[in-house]
Formats: sequence, C-alpha cells, structure tokens
Amino acid sequence: MVLEQGHAIEIVDMPINMGPQHPSTHGVFRMVLAVNGEQVVDVTPHIGYMHRGGEKLMEAMDFRQGIGYADRTEYLAQFHAELGYVMAVERLMDLKVPDRAEYIRVILCELNRLSSHFMFMGAFGIDAGLFGTSFTFAFVQRENLLDLFEEISGDRLMYAYFRVGGLAWEVTDNFVQRVHEVLKQSQQGIRDLDDLMTKNEIFMGRCQNVGAFSAKQAIAYGVSGPLLRASGVPWDLRKDEPYSVYDRFNFEIPVGNYGDVYDRYLVRLEEMKQSIKIIEQALEQLPPEGPIVPEKMPRRLRTPPGEVYAKVESPRGEWGVYLLSKGGDKPYRLKMRSPSFCNLSALREMTIGQYLADAVMILGSMDIVLCCVDR
Amino acid sequence: MTLPDGQDQEAQNEAAQPADAPPPSGEAAAAPPEKPAAKAAAPRPAKEAEPKEVARVAPPAGSINELLAAAAPGVQMKAYMVPWSPGESVAVEVGRDDLTAVMTAARDDSRLDMDYLRCLSGVDWQEEGLEVVYHLWSFTRRHHLTVKTRVTYADPSVPSIAAIYPGAEWHEREARDMFGLHFEGHPNLVPLLLPDDMTDHFPLRKDNPLQEIEEWQGVNLREGAGEGDE
Repeated sequence: MVLEQGHAIEIVDMPINMGPQHPSTHGVFRMVLAVNGEQVVDVTPHIGYMHRGGEKLMEAMDFRQGIGYADRTEYLAQFHAELGYVMAVERLMDLKVPDRAEYIRVILCELNRLSSHFMFMGAFGIDAGLFGTSFTFAFVQRENLLDLFEEISGDRLMYAYFRVGGLAWEVTDNFVQRVHEVLKQSQQGIRDLDDLMTKNEIFMGRCQNVGAFSAKQAIAYGVSGPLLRASGVPWDLRKDEPYSVYDRFNFEIPVGNYGDVYDRYLVRLEEMKQSIKIIEQALEQLPPEGPIVPEKMPRRLRTPPGEVYAKVESPRGEWGVYLLSKGGDKPYRLKMRSPSFCNLSALREMTIGQYLADAVMILGSMDIVLCCVDR
Repeated sequence: MTLPDGQDQEAQNEAAQPADAPPPSGEAAAAPPEKPAAKAAAPRPAKEAEPKEVARVAPPAGSINELLAAAAPGVQMKAYMVPWSPGESVAVEVGRDDLTAVMTAARDDSRLDMDYLRCLSGVDWQEEGLEVVYHLWSFTRRHHLTVKTRVTYADPSVPSIAAIYPGAEWHEREARDMFGLHFEGHPNLVPLLLPDDMTDHFPLRKDNPLQEIEEWQGVNLREGAGEGDE
C-alpha cells in the first residue's frame, strides 16, 4: 500500500499469542493466531502442557488401578471414562455385568452428562459475555449433582466407582429418591439457563453463524459428539452401537442445521433434556435388588491375550479405549481415544477466516478437557 | 462383605498361597472352609487353559475384508476377527507399501465408504517391531474395520494418511512423539504433545523405563492385587 505522501507501508499478518494461562482456554492450552486486521488467517494450537504419559502409566497398573487413572484423564465425565475402560476389560474377560449394575451405570453416566453440560453452559456463558450469571446458575446445579455422586462414591470428582464386572458397592438406600430430587432441580436449572441464554439477543449475536462446520468437514476431521451432531450428523453411540442397556430406552438424538456455535449450544441443551428422559426410564426399569457384580467374578483380574476397542458416548464425543493384552493383570498397551483431542484437531480449520473475538467462542463451544487432550 | 467372611477369606488365602495353587475362584471362597482342597482343585485346569497366543479366527464369508480385497485388488492382507465392544470386528493386516492404496480404497470405494477415522494408535511389539492400528467407520454403510500395518525399529517409516483423513494429522504427530514412527508425506511432523526439542526420545516405547517412583507404585500396589476383598 502506498499512502498519498509516498510513504510505503508493509502490511504483515500479526501473530497473537493466546494462552497457556488464559481464562478462556479452559485449561492449559496455547494457540498462536495470525491475524490480518480482525480476521484470523492462521492458527497454531500448542498442546501437551499437561501430558503426563497416562497411557504409559496405565501399562504399569493392573486393571483395578487403571480405573482411577481414567477418572483423572477425563475429569468432567469421569463415569464415562471409567465405563469405557471397564467395558474394554469386561469384553476381553467375557464378563456379563448384572442388570442392576448396568442400570445404575446408565443413571450415573447420564447424571454425569448433565453435570458436564452444566459446566459447559456456565463456562460458555462467560465466554459469550454473560459474566457470572450463567456460571452461578450452572454451578448451583452441578453442585447438586456432585453432592449426589459424593454420597454414592465417597468422592466429589474422582469416583472410581465402576469396577470391572459391576460396581464398587451398592448405592445408598435412598438412591432413587435422591436421583428424583436432583432431577427436579436439574430440570429447573435447565429452564433457567434456557431462559437466560437461548433467546438472549447478545448471546445469539455472538453465537450464530460463528465457526460453522459442515458435516463433511466434521467427519473428515474425526469430530464426534455434540459438535458432529450440531453439524447435522445424527450419530450417537448410545443409539448407533448401543452399549450397556441403552437399547432399552426411548430417547432422541438432537441434531443441528448449521453446525455453528449456536447449534452446538442448542444440541447440548436438548441433550440434557434427553438425559433426564433416559434417567427417568432407567429409574422405572431399575431392578429393586440383585447382584451388582457377576456371581462368578474371578478374584484375579486377568485377561486372555487379545485386543479390544471399546467406546462410549461421553459428553464430548466418542471416548474410546483400545486395549491390548498379552495376558496377565496389566494392559500391554492402552490407547485412550480422547474426543477432546480429535475435536480440537479441527480447531484450525474452524477458526481460519473468522474474527479474532470469535476464536474464543469457537474454542469454548468445543468444550474441551485439556487433561483429556494431553493424557 | 461382613467381617467374619473377610476373616475366613484371609485365612483361606494364607492357606492357599504357599501351596502355589491358583487363587480360589469366587465360588470356592464362598464355600465353607471345611474342604478347601476339593474346591480349590476345580479351577486348576482353567489356569492351564489360559492361552498365551491369540487364536486367529478367520472372518466368516461375506465379511468386510472381502469387500476390501475387491476394492484394493492385488493387496496382500491377512484378515481375522477381533473383539469389539459390543460385538466383534474384522481386522486386516497389510504391508506398509499397500497402506495408501488400502486406505484410499476404504474411503473412496462405494461398497466400503469408510469416511471416518475413529482412532489411530501406535503399538510397540518390541522384537516384533512397531505397529500402527487404524480404526475406521462408515456412516453410510454403518460398518467398522481395523487396519494394521507393521514396521521395524530400523526403518519406522509409514506412509502418512493425513491427505486421506485430515483427522489423522494430529494422531500421527502423537504416534511420532510416543513411538518414533516416521510418517512419510506428513505435512507437519513436529512434536505435538512433547516439547519441541524432544525429537529423539520416545516415551511410550517399551524400552523406555518408567521413573523409579512409578515403578515403585506399580510393583507395590500390584502385589496382592486381586487377592483382596473384591
């Protein structure tokens, strides 16, 4: 560009560093954005700040110890992480989990989905500029759910409650009543957030037509979970490859039309309502008593040699566990297919061409867990 | 479990351990302790039966590997069944030179139409080399397939499939970090999870020891694992 006075100006893309300690990166994550004015022309994500070699560590742990590590990897969907891991071991050992244990697992997983999505709603509201309101609304509800998990498992976050073959111990006597109570509160919470955010003019303005991702792109990048469904692909492992007892419930898979940030929010909101539907059915069908571990449970957890790929639909997408065993009580190799990792790999494609301010929204809408990305 | 039961079990454990007998099964533990010998003898054949090698079962006729063979003619492949949760899946082993042809066929052939790369894992088989495992899924045909390819330590080069499945880009970078696999034709094969300058150390290889504390945890906690009250 040449100004009138004859001074030449060189226009360059400006790199902007965001993170690793940035309030809107939801963890330790850094990206370097190259911007031309307000428009993002390139993104270089840097991950690995929380890499602890979890897969290596799990090779040194036996099948009981690994459960705790699965918790710590996916720390917002702990029950799902545990379930994926124990399902892999159970499949290799050919264990049949009793019905009562399966129902309790489903109930807890769906409650966990609620708590995880509440976390998303709260944090995403802050990203969108709703200040603390959405966060406090959501966290009241999350707290109720965590209280219930604590009553059952003895821990607020790291439950280690699912065990190979079933559950660690029986749920509390007032379990059904407590779940009903919490569901009632959660329904109110969902309504509150719905009222606060969905039709909020500013929120809609911040979200609509931002970071749109087509179904084709999402599939190519291995995106899963609410992000994929927001792009219009009705794919949910609970329906498509039903595990546990999910084939016994009636529920719908919400899908979006545009694949933008707003659709991702709507899909998650609807998913929460569907989760409540599943829990209500599961509570009705829950056998009032019965074993929670198989009758012929081996006292040593040893698998025959072999391999298995187990997967569950976590709140963030497909949580897969690829387990290779050479026999014995430890995995030979354990790969955790983290939905956050795969979704995040599409960040560059999603963000290029968007405005700088929207980069935060796009990242927020992915609802990543950095521990799960880095493992 | 009530306290007296637990005590019984412990006593029984102590009695059973020095005899180098296999651990009593849950059934034996619940039985009265009068005749432990008769009960403990029952599960013994089970331990011998624990196989050391994986039995390779060929997929039934009409399985997906036949479609793949038709879509990628002339490719040498070994197909067998592997456990999948839920159900079972077909795995095919192919040579690394055929990998690009197989992956392209898997994605583009309308009979296969495997448009989704679920997972890509590196595996260190020590003296048997390094392996890359690809899990594929088709949204339209709704079937899945596992593809494996193996390379040696000396020449850990695998063709990159990032051009076929863009999602493989990060997976391949991770496999490079952890196993030292080299993905030929990868657009940006630099460390992803590891520090930028850590290019000659591969943490997930089996010859890479755990740190002392981690070994200690593993060994000490593992002792007696499974003999407790579960």
